[in-house]
Amino acid sequence: MAKAFKYGLKGITGYLEPAERDLLRSLINDVISMLQPEDRDGQDPLAALIGLDMDVAEPADRAVKRLLPNVMKDDAGASLEFRQLTERSLRETKIGALRAAALDLDKDEIVLTPDGARHWSMALNDVRLVLAERLDIQDEEDAEHVHLMQDWSQAEDVESYLALVYNFATWLQESLVQAMLQSLDSRR
Amino acid sequence: MTLSVALGPDTQEGTRTGTVESTDSLTAPDIPWNLVIWNDPVNLMSYVSYVFQSYFGYSESKANKLMMEVHKKGRSIVASGSKEQVERHAVAMHGFGLWATVEKASGGNNDNSGNSGGPGQGKGKRG
Repeated sequence: MAKAFKYGLKGITGYLEPAERDLLRSLINDVISMLQPEDRDGQDPLAALIGLDMDVAEPADRAVKRLLPNVMKDDAGASLEFRQLTERSLRETKIGALRAAALDLDKDEIVLTPDGARHWSMALNDVRLVLAERLDIQDEEDAEHVHLMQDWSQAEDVESYLALVYNFATWLQESLVQAMLQSLDSRR
Repeated sequence: MTLSVALGPDTQEGTRTGTVESTDSLTAPDIPWNLVIWNDPVNLMSYVSYVFQSYFGYSESKANKLMMEVHKKGRSIVASGSKEQVERHAVAMHGFGLWATVEKASGGNNDNSGNSGGPGQGKGKRG
């Protein structure tokens, strides 16, 4: 069984079983592949270099849209304009955090610097956002319903399996964030 | 619109000399904008509070108060400033996975109340 993250002399530490690490690694890789910007032919290389993407569109996939939301609630045009300027670098920020977390999964014991912990919390959050879209968690009631699923022997279909995975990621992120809050306190 | 968001963090050291004012001032008048965080059923309350504390430097009590406002009222204005500032915050919030939008601060007359297209709204229009 995984051990909750905790804050101590070495920083923030955690422990995951090999199977749990494999699971997280594949979840992280799934999210990375969703965020990977496609290389389009004929794209202006200079524009790409500075993060501009004039061909960007609002994501069709709901999970991707949750990761890369519109910046204005009721103005699709202005949101799109903003995407052209920022979406590529946002994708890269997220992929960077996800990759950093995946690298830490190569060891049994996870020891995190403050930056490492931040990357982990961002990565776990993105993983949970994607799982939540797949589980169709739209409101608190849906979240409660998914939360009830805690027993791995009940995993009998994709939905219940995803719910268990989601709850595991939630538990792990909560323990990490608690450790991060403690470490913030100690630096004040 | 400016590229400052895409090109990385702006240094706000207060050493701004009155040399070249960027062209933003022509297209984005100096009116306040708000950064709004929306409730969603996925983000952990602890995480939202952590982001408010670590990113904005808010105290624990201020961060928790804003987080509870998001949770109970569905949204909260967590920062205000120029359009460029709140847009930069919004990108950072999206990086953390929080659901953030920016909106023009509504002063006396609320232009979200459905009377769009009324006269006298030319000021502040986007370029």
